[in-house]
Amino acid sequence: MEKQIDLLQGTLDMLILKAVSLGPLHGYGVLLRIQQISKDRLEIQQGSLYPALYRLEHQGWVASEWGESENKRKAKYYRLTSAGKRRFQSEAETWNRMTDVIAGILGTKPEEA
Amino acid sequence: MTLWNRLHSWMRATLHRPRMESEMDSELRFHIEAYAEDLVGTGVPRQEAMRRARLEFGGIDRAKEECREARGANIMETLLQDLRYGARMLRKNPGFTAVAGLTLALGIGANTAIFSLVNGILLRPLPFATPQNLVSITGNYPKGAFVAMREEMQTFDAAAYFEGHEFNLTGRGEPLRLSGVLVSAEFFSVLGVCPELGHPFYPGDDKAGHDNYVVLSHALWQQRFASDPSIIGRSIELEGVSRQVVGVMPAEFRFPSPKTQVWIPLHSDSRDTIDHWASDFMTVIGRLRRGSTINQARTEIRMFQSRVFKLFPWPMPAAWNADISVVELHHGMVADVRRRLFLLLGAVGLILLIACVNVANLALSRSATREKEIAVRAAMGAERGRVIRQLLTESVLLAFSGGLLGILFATKGLQLLKATLPADTPRLADAHIDWRVLVFTGGLAILTGFLFGLAPALHSSRAALAESLNSAGRGAGVSISQRLRSGLAIAEVAFAVLLVIAAGLLTRSFLALSHVDPGFRAERLLTARVTPNQEFCSDPSRCISFYRELLDRMRAVPGINSAALINTLPLGGRLAKRSLEIEIEPTSPGAIMPLFWMDVVTPDYLSLMSIPVLAGRGFTSADDSGNPPVAIVTASTARRYWPGRSAVGSRVRLDRDTEWRTVVGIISDVRAYDLQKYVPDWINGTIYVPYTPKATLEGGRVPSDMTIVVQSSLEESQAQDVLRRTIASLNPEVPASEVRPMRAVVYESVSTPASTTVLFVAFAALALALGLIGIYGVLSFLVSRRTREIGIRLALGAQRRDVLWLVMKEGAKFSLIGIALGLTSALAITRILASDLYGIRPADPFTFIATAVLMSAVTLLACYIPTRRAMRVDPLNALRHE
Repeated sequence: MEKQIDLLQGTLDMLILKAVSLGPLHGYGVLLRIQQISKDRLEIQQGSLYPALYRLEHQGWVASEWGESENKRKAKYYRLTSAGKRRFQSEAETWNRMTDVIAGILGTKPEEA
Repeated sequence: MTLWNRLHSWMRATLHRPRMESEMDSELRFHIEAYAEDLVGTGVPRQEAMRRARLEFGGIDRAKEECREARGANIMETLLQDLRYGARMLRKNPGFTAVAGLTLALGIGANTAIFSLVNGILLRPLPFATPQNLVSITGNYPKGAFVAMREEMQTFDAAAYFEGHEFNLTGRGEPLRLSGVLVSAEFFSVLGVCPELGHPFYPGDDKAGHDNYVVLSHALWQQRFASDPSIIGRSIELEGVSRQVVGVMPAEFRFPSPKTQVWIPLHSDSRDTIDHWASDFMTVIGRLRRGSTINQARTEIRMFQSRVFKLFPWPMPAAWNADISVVELHHGMVADVRRRLFLLLGAVGLILLIACVNVANLALSRSATREKEIAVRAAMGAERGRVIRQLLTESVLLAFSGGLLGILFATKGLQLLKATLPADTPRLADAHIDWRVLVFTGGLAILTGFLFGLAPALHSSRAALAESLNSAGRGAGVSISQRLRSGLAIAEVAFAVLLVIAAGLLTRSFLALSHVDPGFRAERLLTARVTPNQEFCSDPSRCISFYRELLDRMRAVPGINSAALINTLPLGGRLAKRSLEIEIEPTSPGAIMPLFWMDVVTPDYLSLMSIPVLAGRGFTSADDSGNPPVAIVTASTARRYWPGRSAVGSRVRLDRDTEWRTVVGIISDVRAYDLQKYVPDWINGTIYVPYTPKATLEGGRVPSDMTIVVQSSLEESQAQDVLRRTIASLNPEVPASEVRPMRAVVYESVSTPASTTVLFVAFAALALALGLIGIYGVLSFLVSRRTREIGIRLALGAQRRDVLWLVMKEGAKFSLIGIALGLTSALAITRILASDLYGIRPADPFTFIATAVLMSAVTLLACYIPTRRAMRVDPLNALRHE
C-alpha cells in the first residue's frame, strides 16, 4: 500500500460533493466511498468529515434525510442538490485549471526559465 | 438563495435545537458503530473494535462543537451558553457581584436620570404639530409692530405672546391671582394645538372690543371649576372684566410656561398709542409656510426690521433689535438650560467612568483568582477569542443587571432632580423615563460592560497556561496586572479630583453669593402681593386709600411692628421702568431719555428694610400728599448723573410729566434685580418716589400691584393669617398672592445656582465614595498578594514601620499622581464653569489646594485598613500561607 497523504486544505468539501454525486450516502458511506475511489491513498480525519457535511448542508450544496442502512439501521443520507451540482462543477473546473498550472510550473526545466 | 438557505438552516438549528442535538448524536454513533462493525468483520474482537473506532474518530465533542458551528447555530448558542455560564459565575461570587453591580447601578442610574432630562428637554420634539416648522424670532416687538409683521410676512405665519401678565379671578369663592399670557389670535393655530374642550381663538379675536375671551389651562379648570364641561361659553370675571371661556387646553400643553393658567387675546387697539407701541414688547413665534426655509424667514425679518422704525410714533434707538434673527422654536426655548444640562451630563459621565474603573479593578483582582479556571478552559480547547467573548458576555451581563437596578435608581433620582431644579426650567415636566431613555440605558450598559470588561478579559486570556497551572496561582502577568490596576486607580483619583474641584468652585461661588449684602435686611419680614383689580385702581385715589387703609389696619394688629408697600420687591423678579429727564442734563428733542427703575414706596419702606439714607432724608408722611413732588435716588445713580456735586436739591421730571420732582435724599444701592447685580445693564439709574396719585408708571397709571412688607413679632403662619384676614375684611375681591417671607424671596432668586451646586456636590460625594472604594480595593489586593513577601521581610527583621512605609508608598504613589493629573486637567476644564461662578476665578487656588488636601486625606483613609492588615501579618502564618 502506498503511503497515505494528508488531505490538502479545502479539498475535503470537493471530495464529499464528488462522493455524494454518485448517489445518496450516509456519513460513514462518504468516508468509505472516498477511500475506495482514492484506493486508500488519502488520509481523512473521521472527526472532520461531519463538520464538513454540516457546512455543505448549511450552504445548501447537499440535502439530508433519514433512511435505512444496508444492515437495517437508521442512518442519515446525504444527496447532492442541483445547486451543489453546479457548485461541484465549477470547483472541479477551478481545481483542474489550478493543477494544470501548478504541474506546468513544477515541470518547468531550468533552461526554459 | 444561499442567504435564505443559511437563514433557514440557522432558524431550524435554533428552533429545533434539542432535536438536532439528538440527531447529531445518533448520526455519529451510527458512524462509529458501523466502522466497528466492519472491523469486527475483519476479525477484531467486538470490544477492541469499538475502542479503535472511537479512537480513530478523534474528539467527538470537538467534532460536535464544529458541527454546531458549521450549522451556524453557534452564535446564538454560544451566547446563551456564555450567558448561562456568566450568570453562574456571578451567582458564585455574590460579594463581587453585589459591589460591582451596585457601583454600576449608581453610575448608570445617575446617567439615566440626567439623560431623561436631556431627552425630555432637548431631544424630544415639542408636542406641537410638525414642530420642525416652528420658529421663534429673537427680538421682541410691541403690538403695533407685530400687527404690521403679521400682515407683511410671506415666509411664515406669525403669532405673538407676552408673558408676565396677571389677572384677578373673582366672583366665585376666594379671589385668585392668575398667571396669564397675552396672545395674538393665531397663537394656537400657529402652534397647531387644539383645546381639549371648546375651540381656540379665531382670527380677529384679539381686536379691541371683540376680545373678551379667555382659554383656561387644564389645571385651573380642574381646581377652580371642578372640571365642569359646561364652563365653555360661560363668562368669568378677570380683573373686573367679564370674559367668555372659549376653550380649555389639555394638561400636557404648557406653553409658554408650565405656570400659565389663562390665555387672553392681546387686545390690539391702534388708537391707544402707548399701549400699541410702548408696552408689552412681545415674543414672536411663527410657522414656516410650505416651501419656505428658516434662512428665507431670517432674510425677510431683517428686511422688516429695517423698515419697522418708520412705523413707530417716536424715534427708536438704532441698536434696537439690530441682531434680529430667526431660530427654531425648540432651540430658542431651551437655549438657557442647554449648557447647564451638558455640564450635568459631563459630571455624571465622569461618575460612570469612575464606576467602570472600579469594576474593572475588581474584575482584575478576580481574574487573578480565575487564571486557573481560564487556563483549564484553554487547555480543553477553548480558543482565545472564545474566552474573551465569554468574559465580555459576563461583564455585559453584569452591566445589564447594574443597568436594571440603575433604572430603578434613576426613577427616584429623576423625582429628586425635578424637585431640585428651578421650577421655571423649560419642559421640566416633559422629562420622564421613556423608550429613548431605556434605549440609552441599554446602550450605556453594553458600552459600560465592554469598557470595564475589556482590559480584564484581554489580560486574563493572555495569562500563560502552563505557568498558571503549575504555579500556585501566581501566574505570569502579575506585573502587567499591577501596572494596569495602578493606572486605573490613578485615573479614578484624577476623575474624582475633577468633580470635587467643580463642586468646590460652585460651592465657594454659592457661598460668596449667599454672603452678598443685598442692601437690605430680610429678617422677620413677611411679604405678599396685594392686587386690587385694575378697574378698581383706574381711580388712583380710591386705589391708594385702599392700600393706606390696609397699612393702618395691619399696624393696628398687636404684634405687627411696621408695614410698608413697594411696587417691585427687590429680588422679586419684577421691575418697573420709567424714562425721565434730569434737569441739569436736559435731553435734546428727539434724543432718548435715560431709562430708570422706578420704585414706588410708602414712607416706612426704607426703615423697614433697613436701607440706609446716605444724604438728605427719607420719605415722610408729609410726602403722601404728593405736593411738592419728591424723589430719592440711589448712591450709584447720584454718582452717575450728579458727579462731583450733591444730587440732593436737584430736580428730575418723569417722562410726560409737567412737574419737576425734587431729589430729597440719597440711599445706598439695593440688589434689586439679582444678587449678582444691582440692576440690569440696560437700566441707567434707580429712583424711588412716594406712592401718590402722581407716581405714575409708563402706562400713565399708578401701580396697582403693590407688595406689602410686614415686620412682626408673630409666628410666620400667624402673621400670614392676619394679613389674609385683614385684606379680605377690607375688600373680599382682592387676592393676596406670593405670600412668603422675605428670606424665601432672597433664596428663590438664587435657586438656579443653588440647584447646580447641590447636584455637583452630590456627584462629587458619589465620586469620592467610589474612588475611596476603588483605592481600598487596589491596596487590599496588593497586600494580599504580598503577604508572603511581607512575612519574609518581617522574619528577616524588618520593622512594622518598614511595612507601613512599604504599603503606604504604593498608595501614596498613585494617589499623588492621580491628584496631580486631576489638578492639571481641572485647570484646563474648569474654565467652562466661568459664567456660573460668582466672586471667584475658575482657577481658584484655595479650591485647588483644598481639593488636593481632601483627596490626599481620603486616599490615606483608603490606604489605612489594608496597611494595618499588612502590619499585622504574622511571619509564620505568612510563610505557611502557600
